[in-house]
Amino acid sequence: MKAIKLLAVLTALMLVLAACETGGGDDDTTTTAGAEEPTGEETTTTAGAEEPTTTAGAEEPAGDGLLETVQARGSLLCGVNDVLPGFGVVGDDGSFSGFDVDLCKAVAAGVLGDPEAVEYVPLVADARFTALQSGEIDVLIRNTTWTATRDGQEGATFLFTTFYDGQAMMVPASTGFTELEDLADANICVLSGTTTELNLTAVFGARGIAFNPQVFADNEQLRPAYESGQCEAWTSDASQLAALKATIEAEGGEEQFIMAEVISKEPLGPAVRDGDSVWAQAVEWSIMTTVQAWEFGLDSTNIGSYAGEDPNILNFIGTDGFDPGLGLAPDFAVTIIESVGNYQEIYERNIVPIGLQIEGSPNDLWTNGGLMYVPPYR
Amino acid sequence: MSTGSPAPDRSRVPLWRDIRVLRVGGQAIALLLVFLLLRWLLGNLTSNLDRLNIGFDFGFLTRPTQFKIPYHSTFDDRSPVWQMVVVGIKNTFLAGFFGILLALTLGLVVGVSRLSKNWLVARLATVYVEFFRNIPPLLIIIFFAAALFTYGPFPNLREAILIDAPGTSSTLLILSNDQWGIPGFTGGERWALFAALLGAGLILAITAWLWRTRVNENTGRPHHRVAWFFGVLVGIGIVGYLVLGGPFTISWPGQSENRRLIVGGFALNWGFMSVAAALGLYTASHVGEIIRGSILAVPRGQTEASTALALSGFQRYRFVVLPQALRIAIPPIINQCLNLVKNTSLGTAVAYAEITALTQTSIGNGRPALQSLLVMMAVYLMFSLAISLLLNIVNRRLQLVTR
Repeated sequence: MKAIKLLAVLTALMLVLAACETGGGDDDTTTTAGAEEPTGEETTTTAGAEEPTTTAGAEEPAGDGLLETVQARGSLLCGVNDVLPGFGVVGDDGSFSGFDVDLCKAVAAGVLGDPEAVEYVPLVADARFTALQSGEIDVLIRNTTWTATRDGQEGATFLFTTFYDGQAMMVPASTGFTELEDLADANICVLSGTTTELNLTAVFGARGIAFNPQVFADNEQLRPAYESGQCEAWTSDASQLAALKATIEAEGGEEQFIMAEVISKEPLGPAVRDGDSVWAQAVEWSIMTTVQAWEFGLDSTNIGSYAGEDPNILNFIGTDGFDPGLGLAPDFAVTIIESVGNYQEIYERNIVPIGLQIEGSPNDLWTNGGLMYVPPYR
Repeated sequence: MSTGSPAPDRSRVPLWRDIRVLRVGGQAIALLLVFLLLRWLLGNLTSNLDRLNIGFDFGFLTRPTQFKIPYHSTFDDRSPVWQMVVVGIKNTFLAGFFGILLALTLGLVVGVSRLSKNWLVARLATVYVEFFRNIPPLLIIIFFAAALFTYGPFPNLREAILIDAPGTSSTLLILSNDQWGIPGFTGGERWALFAALLGAGLILAITAWLWRTRVNENTGRPHHRVAWFFGVLVGIGIVGYLVLGGPFTISWPGQSENRRLIVGGFALNWGFMSVAAALGLYTASHVGEIIRGSILAVPRGQTEASTALALSGFQRYRFVVLPQALRIAIPPIINQCLNLVKNTSLGTAVAYAEITALTQTSIGNGRPALQSLLVMMAVYLMFSLAISLLLNIVNRRLQLVTR
């Protein structure tokens, strides 16, 4: 009798514990940051409790408040590339730099008011969407092409396209190859899990050219294989190839040739998780601000001292207290432009050194015949 | 000791110290914890997937792969994903099979060599073991790929080194930093008949083996069963070849017109060679240690007894020490084989298209990560269970040998 009673007590105790634990577990699952970010849960709940009536709250049907989470955490988790010159590289001192990295800084400046409040999470191509889905990162800015599948199946929402790119083919200049047909049956180096891999297959397939892919996880593994001739060609986005051509030639490698034919369209842009439009808007406007400032003729040197009377610009820099209700500080544009500069400055700092000019490219401002066009800030 | 309260009943142990209750309770708690953990993980998963609006089904397996697989020119990018999985299984199997073959043969040699009385042989084996055992297998693979291929002595395939078979104009070997060509064979029109004949020959050879074993057991005469086995098999093979008028021909490796493909023979790609060789060498160091330890574990009296029976050194090893040593060695060797197969997943570092690399590529190209990983786990589980089963059968047979 006694044994049964004790067992019963034990079981009851376990059930209570179980109830507590499963309850805690369910709470965890509702946070975006997941198991690795126990603070995320707390901050979400406290932020929600203290500010039940934010302006954003009204138009937030199923959002889980990543904007509040990030602001409470005080730092932005930004998924970047760390081996791609021009877009995202780690320097000798461990600091990140590049076009995408500057955009991370812009988002941090807009959302948190501090361009340095970024934790960079270097990701290989294969891992980027898993990292985004799992909450390991808040925003993915890693030369990522916007495609329908990624929008749909990967649970990602793509935002403003920050760089219009296209896929090209690089070969050593000494080979004399100038068109895709020269590469029949050849080994072609490509990164795994990229749109370039699928484009390569589709374009060569459509033209009936046989080829053999050599698939690598990142450029550091791929480059020796290319330079040793294990693959005869390297295919990637034209901007990447330009950067790599410059690096290889600067480091004393063979002279490289990039084939003129562009075989795909690659709109690169930031992506966030599905289901949190407030966060998506905050990120998108932080980034679009850099283009808007460029259009207004504002840059990091003159935006702080603007003395004109243009009402659009006065709205933009927030001097008369204009707040579009994005959940950002009224002067977030000034913070962003003063810390990272406008789009043109970011481009010239990062992309021009790898040999791509802004003039005449799709990345020029719409008023100059390019595709950089943002909705009005009013 | 004497108090007013009634003395506790000493004939019964209190419940919380009753060993039976504690055992049952401990098991129950452990079970409950495991259950809760699984429930929590699964709850996390489903609610996260629901929140992101991502479904959980395996329909993607029948949709087109959309990418090509290195060194599989016959694999069409319109083929469904499950065919990609099959190619991955094949490549994992090939690397695992040849790796295990190398590891076991080399491991046996190294293990016996370490116990050799020859100073040089024993030292060389020790150096080998200490070197390979203390380096992570990934490094060995990358080193192999870099030293032999990427930065190696061979030109690329278009300028490949061709080595002619002595005395003929046929190419014996094609060496490049990409693929190697070795001689193979192509079946003629009577190839199927010949294969069937060989199958029958194999059955016959096994029968001969069993018959000789029985003769040996009943009469004590030497069985020579290895000689019988191969004698029957090769004899039938030769007769069949002559009768069927050459059912297969040796195919020498050659290069295609644009010198970018190997035609004829067998083509080995650099990823496969790096993975199989590196893992074979790495695992051989472990197998060698297992063999050495197992030989040492055979009681000294056995060796002394066989010496007293005037057995030669070879006979001592072959009939007394090794059979007993192998019995001890088999279980840990099973572990090493399992490890080797699982380590082939490192092949992704050298662009070898085994199941892990293909799954990663597939996930990167928009296939659902979780389901793909589950498929991959099932594949490795299948491999491990198959190897365990095979070697356990061997193990059981060795254990049952009692006279």
